[in-house]
Amino acid sequence: MENSFALVGKGYLIVAADTTAARSIVKMKSDQDKIKALSPHLLMTYSGEPGDTLQFAEFVERNIRLYQIRNLYPLRPSAAASWIRRSLAESLRSRHPYSVNLLLGGYDIASDDPHLYWIDYLGTLSEVPFAAHGYGAYFALSLLDRYHDPNATLEEGLATLKRCIDEVSKRLVVSPDKYKVKVVDKDGIRDVEL
Amino acid sequence: MSIMSHNGGSVIAMVGKDCVAIASDLRLGNEAMGISSNFQRIFPVSDRIYLGLPGLATDVATLREKFRFRVNMYTIKEEREIKPETFAHLVSSTLYEHRFGPYFIEPVMAGISKTPTGGVKPFIAATDLIGCLNFAKDFVVAGTASDKLYGVAEGLWEPDLEPEDLFETISQTLLNAVDRDAFSGWGALVHVITKDKVITRTLKGRMD
Amino acid sequence: MASADGGAYSYSLTVFSPSGKLVQIEHALAAVAQGTTSLGIKATNGIVIATEKKSSSILIDDSVIEKVAIICPNIGIVYSGMGPDFRILVTKARKSAQAYWKIYGEYPPTRVLTQEIAGVMQQATQSGGVRPYGVSLLVAGWDNHRGPTLYQVDPSGSFWAWKASAIGKNMINAKTFLEKRYNDDISLEDAIHTALLTLKEGFEGQMTEKTIEIGVVTVPTPEELEQGNIGGETGRPKPAFRKLSEEEVRDYLAL
Repeated sequence: MENSFALVGKGYLIVAADTTAARSIVKMKSDQDKIKALSPHLLMTYSGEPGDTLQFAEFVERNIRLYQIRNLYPLRPSAAASWIRRSLAESLRSRHPYSVNLLLGGYDIASDDPHLYWIDYLGTLSEVPFAAHGYGAYFALSLLDRYHDPNATLEEGLATLKRCIDEVSKRLVVSPDKYKVKVVDKDGIRDVEL
Repeated sequence: MSIMSHNGGSVIAMVGKDCVAIASDLRLGNEAMGISSNFQRIFPVSDRIYLGLPGLATDVATLREKFRFRVNMYTIKEEREIKPETFAHLVSSTLYEHRFGPYFIEPVMAGISKTPTGGVKPFIAATDLIGCLNFAKDFVVAGTASDKLYGVAEGLWEPDLEPEDLFETISQTLLNAVDRDAFSGWGALVHVITKDKVITRTLKGRMD
Repeated sequence: MASADGGAYSYSLTVFSPSGKLVQIEHALAAVAQGTTSLGIKATNGIVIATEKKSSSILIDDSVIEKVAIICPNIGIVYSGMGPDFRILVTKARKSAQAYWKIYGEYPPTRVLTQEIAGVMQQATQSGGVRPYGVSLLVAGWDNHRGPTLYQVDPSGSFWAWKASAIGKNMINAKTFLEKRYNDDISLEDAIHTALLTLKEGFEGQMTEKTIEIGVVTVPTPEELEQGNIGGETGRPKPAFRKLSEEEVRDYLAL
């Protein structure tokens, strides 16, 4: 099953998503990147109904890009979160709602701090210090309640994320084996190997 | 599971002597799983009116945006602040627009209005999810802990409470009611609205 | 082509002349200037609006002609110009007032309703296939926010607040007369008499309760205000605007 985790630390944000592309009980692929870089300082994980996920993620990606072309500067994370939320909320009451859950995180270069937003397919939006989607959330959130420290260094943050991933691998029956991890801070986005 | 209790959360409003109070918990959940302990569901409408939106969290945000838009348009067009009574009707008619596909929210309003002779009149009201207004003289409740809130408020509330006593009454009512509700809690926020100021306090609550 | 807006090839009839004028609107104003005189005076404790009601033949049953119209319990209007155009605007204004009531649970302030009517009249100057409304209006009303107010609306859609104004035939003379007679602390009773005197100035024939119409706005007392605007079992507010009955008009004329 699909899992995604994210947490903010001192001046950075870590985002992780599993890399499994499954269809029913069959693994079709194990190196799928389910984290999109929406702008130089904005990341988004997407999970949910296959097809909807990529379609919606690309819709968001192109619109965020369009904003940047028109205005010569990118949307701030909070504004991007509001826009995405509204898109999902309008979609919810349309004939074919998108069934996509998101973790949106970015580094706000205007206020110089990281932000993380938990968004579900209903259009629920909440700014949080850490978040997760999928069955792994039941394990990860408990661990994050205990171990998350908003002032932790990147190394400590990655260690906390590893705790979550390891616990899910250990306890969840339908656990994915590989994760993609990305970090965003004042210098932009980069991949990280755990 | 009902849509109304998908995210959890509760709001209560009470009348005091020349003041009103409105309070809510801070939990945002996904069914039984807690997502946030800092979810705002009470919003200022004007200096003297607050609106609480317990129910489905996506509709909390959508309705909040809708009412901000409509109240801003009202203020510009009419060149005056909206009265609590008028705002209550606006809430009611806005919800009834969606009678056959409603927003899953049961709004609670609290405000104070001025009488023509310059006096102060406390005002509270609540509606169901399709906008049926309930103007109460004592208190109104809504959300997943509404049944518990009725019980505790019935026991603690008394008429003509001064702002500080009203704060104590509404806080104890909310805190004790949400402790018996699995979908509400995780801290609380209280506003006491008086003639010349609004007192806002964040309360700690049980985190289980 | 038969669409509601007239289709893509239906141009507005109101177009700018090279000198920058909208001649259609000026023609509409000319139509108003041919209409019977109407006037309004704002007093300290209310407003009076009045008009001539002359019929072209003695055979016409003038008891059913209505030139002063109640829009909602707190607002009334009178017109000069074309009767049929006025009735369309009355219908629209009444609907607008009820629509406002359905949203806010109270009737619109005078200014908001005036703006609404003015918007309708402005649209007629910019839409395809229509002509401007051939009326000027005097809107008199009372509301909590601004108290008693008197507005004039012209075919162009522009509107102003007045202390006293006149429209239609003789409007220039009537306004000069009002300027001489008006002062800031005139009472409603005095204003009604001034209104009658002003109408008399340009009146042809006999001025009777059958040939004039009067509407008045009365400001609610502080006690009535304190009670709130819900009245009786019908839930209808106590009207601030009402039309004077023929008996009342006769009494004022007799004085």
